[in-house]
Amino acid sequence: MAHWFQRVLLGASLATFTLVTATEAQAEQVTTIDSIEQLDNELFELGVTTGIINIQDFGSEFVTGINAGFIASEDIFMQLNYVFADAGLSSFEKSQGALFSGDDRKFQHFDFLVGYNLYQGEQFFSGTDAQLSSLYLVAGIGDTDFGGEESFTYTVGIGYQIGLSRTYNLKFDYRDYIYDSSLLLEDESTHNAQFSVSLNVLF
Amino acid sequence: MKYILWLSLLLTASYSCLAKDIMIRLEVIDPYLEMHTGPGDGYPIIYTVEQGEMIDLLTRRPDWYEIKSSTGRIGWVKSSQIARTIQPTGEPVDLPSVSYGDYLEDSLSLGFNVGQFTGGELKGSQTFSFTSEQRWLSWFGTELEVGKYYDSEVRGRYYGLNLLFEPYSDWVVSPVIIVGTGNMKTTVQPKLIPLSIEDSGYYQYGIGGNFYLGRNFVIRAGYREYTVSTEQDDERLDRWHIGFNAFF
Repeated sequence: MAHWFQRVLLGASLATFTLVTATEAQAEQVTTIDSIEQLDNELFELGVTTGIINIQDFGSEFVTGINAGFIASEDIFMQLNYVFADAGLSSFEKSQGALFSGDDRKFQHFDFLVGYNLYQGEQFFSGTDAQLSSLYLVAGIGDTDFGGEESFTYTVGIGYQIGLSRTYNLKFDYRDYIYDSSLLLEDESTHNAQFSVSLNVLF
Repeated sequence: MKYILWLSLLLTASYSCLAKDIMIRLEVIDPYLEMHTGPGDGYPIIYTVEQGEMIDLLTRRPDWYEIKSSTGRIGWVKSSQIARTIQPTGEPVDLPSVSYGDYLEDSLSLGFNVGQFTGGELKGSQTFSFTSEQRWLSWFGTELEVGKYYDSEVRGRYYGLNLLFEPYSDWVVSPVIIVGTGNMKTTVQPKLIPLSIEDSGYYQYGIGGNFYLGRNFVIRAGYREYTVSTEQDDERLDRWHIGFNAFF
């Protein structure tokens, strides 16, 4: 019984083996333009972000978010970001009570950025093990929803990326979200600095 | 018997893994190819492949190809160098390399732009839009646009569908004509005198230009005129904008 079963399995696996070898041989022959289009291309990135944001007048908060990227060329990439944080009390509110509450205390921000790889190189952590790295600048626009206000936001930043493996990247970012707010003062231009770390996968 | 079984199963498994990768074999005709550690000019050169050697293409990224040399070395080569190779049949390789708009047919793009209303009752409001465009023909596409506008006392959003005509899409800088329709909604009104645009349909037309920075990366700027239907007379607005689009 067992032998019979093994023979069938052997036959089946040998058959697939020959079939696969045949298609493999065929695959290697394909060199037309279509097949170059079919080559695995790594253009997209997805990642999770965590860090600290300093909401102007409201203190530093833990921030989390997600990002999606598109590699447009060797030097240029585009990135979509969404981050959120729960704001604490401003120093005014500590003595006078909270100005707003509930959902309004959630700091939510999204933006669309364009990035430029300034310096690409290698990072050596241990011995001769080289990790690909890159220093980049980002700039873009987006929206910040905080304290019942929605504000047009400019984002500028600088970041450093280290390749953990072929497809995983670790990114360290410093960003400044600049927008006008009337929460505490009339039309005050606020700077909200964020330091974050992202783990991204390329696909 | 058992060993043969396991061996054959193992072989099948490993071969089916290999078979998934499409490899393209090419012959180097330049004196040499430079192999970098990563897909960028800044990454160091670790190896050179000589004339007459065969290489396999493994992966592609914008402007770069990951290759494997016949000696088993893996690295990244600039596409301009890969373009100087031939297929085993003797024909030169035909890469989808640097060219402008004409290849855009059937491609999707994502982008964003930033701008400002310069006329009408929203004068001075800053805007941004996210756009997604499907290019059906090299000179014709449809675009979905979602955006917001902001002023010190005004907030609002708009969305619309635009038709894009770009007759000379093979030029590095090429003109674009846009016509479209959509809806505009003011979510935060000024305290004293409310705007007539509350939740209103609009149509727009505009002109602009595309500047192709690379094969799939475009800077687009333009000027648009809006006619918004409100409860009173039609409201006219105009807006300039500049932004980026990436095709993939």
